[in-house]
Amino acid sequence: MLRFNRRAALALGVALLSTAGLPALAQDYPSKPVTLVVSYAAGGGTDAIARVFASRLEKALNGRVIVENRPGAAANIGTEVVASAEPDGYTLLVGNQGPMAVNPHIFNLKHDPAEALDPIAMIADASLVVVVGPRLPVKSLAELLEKAKAGELVYGSAGNASASHVATLLLGQTAGIELKHVPYKGAGPAVNDLVGGHIDFMVTTIPSVIGLVGDGTLTALAVTGSERFAELPDVPTVAESGLPTYTASAWYGLLGPKGLPQGVRDKLASATAETLADPEFIAKLKNDGGVPSTLSGQAFADFMASERARWGEVVKAADIKVE
Amino acid sequence: MMDMLYNLGLGFAVALTLKNVFFCFVGCLIGTLVGVLPGVGPVATISILLPVTLALDPTGALIMLAGIYYGAQYGGSTTAILVNIPGEATAVVTAIDGHEMAKRGQAGLALGLAAIGSFIAGTFATIVIAALGVPMTKLGLLFGPAEYFSLMVMGLVFAVVLAHGSLTKAVAMILVGVLLSCVGADMETGRERMTFGLHMLTDGIEFVVLAMGVFGFGEIFKNLADPEKRDLVKGSIGRLWPSLRDLRENMGAILRGTGIGAVLGVLPGNGAILGPFASYAMEKRLSKRPQDFGTGVSQAVAGPESANNAGAQTSFIPLMTLGLPPNAVMALMVGAMMIQGIVPGPQVIERNPELFWGLIASMWIGNLMLVIINLPLIGLWVKLLQVPYRLLFPAIVAFCCIGLFSISNEPAQVMMAGAMGLVGFALWKLQFEAAPLALGFVLGRLLEEKLRQALIISDGSMTTFVTSPLSAFLLAIGAVALLVAVLPSIRKSRDDVFKDA
Repeated sequence: MLRFNRRAALALGVALLSTAGLPALAQDYPSKPVTLVVSYAAGGGTDAIARVFASRLEKALNGRVIVENRPGAAANIGTEVVASAEPDGYTLLVGNQGPMAVNPHIFNLKHDPAEALDPIAMIADASLVVVVGPRLPVKSLAELLEKAKAGELVYGSAGNASASHVATLLLGQTAGIELKHVPYKGAGPAVNDLVGGHIDFMVTTIPSVIGLVGDGTLTALAVTGSERFAELPDVPTVAESGLPTYTASAWYGLLGPKGLPQGVRDKLASATAETLADPEFIAKLKNDGGVPSTLSGQAFADFMASERARWGEVVKAADIKVE
Repeated sequence: MMDMLYNLGLGFAVALTLKNVFFCFVGCLIGTLVGVLPGVGPVATISILLPVTLALDPTGALIMLAGIYYGAQYGGSTTAILVNIPGEATAVVTAIDGHEMAKRGQAGLALGLAAIGSFIAGTFATIVIAALGVPMTKLGLLFGPAEYFSLMVMGLVFAVVLAHGSLTKAVAMILVGVLLSCVGADMETGRERMTFGLHMLTDGIEFVVLAMGVFGFGEIFKNLADPEKRDLVKGSIGRLWPSLRDLRENMGAILRGTGIGAVLGVLPGNGAILGPFASYAMEKRLSKRPQDFGTGVSQAVAGPESANNAGAQTSFIPLMTLGLPPNAVMALMVGAMMIQGIVPGPQVIERNPELFWGLIASMWIGNLMLVIINLPLIGLWVKLLQVPYRLLFPAIVAFCCIGLFSISNEPAQVMMAGAMGLVGFALWKLQFEAAPLALGFVLGRLLEEKLRQALIISDGSMTTFVTSPLSAFLLAIGAVALLVAVLPSIRKSRDDVFKDA
């Protein structure tokens, strides 16, 4: 009898707690630390942006935000962790172009990011840059494309299906040229071989090469975004360099598990908007090569859908598929 | 020369301010602790501390982070020697003879030689960075995929001499190591290899998991299976400090290790991990009693430890002169610089001379601090060995599990290390050595990566490995070393055949 009572009391208590917790959720949110999942190891570009974002978001939310690195399986593990988490706003994802727009086309994923995740707001858009080293002494993108038509050029990437890889694939497909791909493990070793003259060119994130471009060791030919980058004012966009339809960028957004309570969603969206408007945050973002985004909610979802369709065609044309 | 003295003077003026000395001390202390705790590595520590550095000035922040890095390399050898757990790839070699020395009651000598060797290496490496930093950058750039591949081949050949038992078994272990390094997604096509559909294997096996499993857990299983021998250390502790005679006997090894480590540390793709292996191989070649290697030879600790520390320091060269991080810790340092608004790259020397030279000078100060922190601790560490094993091993296992979990916040890594522990135990039972396995694993990954990159660039032509003079030279050294290693054993086995007949 005693045992039954105890259990009943426990069950009642749990029931009370959970019902009491629900309506209060949006007002009290966050009442405990929020975990921001990053699908890459500490030290990379996504991690850097997530950490800068998290430290400012803490102020906007008035609560702790902890960055948790869940690297692995081409960034699909992080997606999975958040997709299968409780939709209470305490487990969120910094999603980016690779796992959101490219991976669904090349992996058999357990969760489709478009269906299992709730896009809250886009955080940043980071243009990539086309750079050449001593092995290919050209001064413009037009010259590079010219050379590529004459004989196959070798380019390095940060890895198979990375932003740097697919952006170069798109470049080749738009210009109608064949290029030879050498995958590296991360941008660092690839840039090293570019500086050493072992490969011809690279399309890579701006922070990974900006120091070497400033020094003249590498030459920046074009940025891949739709606008020029403030720190590289003399470098034209690819579109300005003769391929008007071309744009590519690495982008980062905040997502949660499907089914976030509306109140929590709204609170996160406004806290993100507040963060993105902070000049100090914008300055730090610029160090990481990014510009803040204005896309929120449905607009962010639509953007992701169009990116996914676009990169799907690129990887299909290049026949990248993992069985 | 005058320039260098002037620059070093500037560096010491920056590094010797009370504030920076304090940051250096904090970094070294945290680093030592992180290194001593098995599995908790500098990468995790630095990424946790990264936001904290925001509040500091850039020079102080980098001095502290650098201190954590080389402090951890230093502390890592302590665990390797005392309990045979190499927390970092570079400590695997130290564990081979270092732990044997500890078992024979020479833990103090091993730790002392490691400390003094590291200090000498650190001093030398500081001078190398100051004097030759910029020209040595060029050396790193010479190594494209083809040259790197040939270097790895040479490394594998030298790996054979790591073994002190059967040559066949050593080769088999190296091959198993290379095979294990192939587990995971293919770098070019993304296809999964040998993962058996297991999610935790798609990114391959983490080195820490392999090392902690095969060496650390394996050693624990071994000790539990053999209660007679496990408390051997208890009996005699021996001298705590190396004598002058010990120092004289090991000075050659320390200097050679320092040289090898300093050169290999500059190579991209974490060449620093090769240093200790290369130093061990060299000491064994030069020794009058190579057959004793593996049973607790002091040169086999002093040399590799010096190489380890020299490499840890010269691996800052590509970071500081080009802004290119050769390993994960350096990538975090790039992050720390960018948070502070400093663009890593060749301009750092000109634009932020106080940062560049201050960091270099702080390394020497840091090394001095490490000796001061660690020498008195030797007594404490050795006492740790007197703790009854039934109390010690659960603590070791607990720390290992925390470290393993922290790699990617996954329990899978802990389980995998447990399985590797059984493998380590089985290897010991069957009298296979684990060190060649670890080296095969470390080199295998780079070997495949560089081979495929080189062949893509050369359009599949194998001649790329001999048309590059540097690559051809490295392959030739490897071939000669292989002949030297194999010839006597062929002769011997032929003698055996004749004897039987």
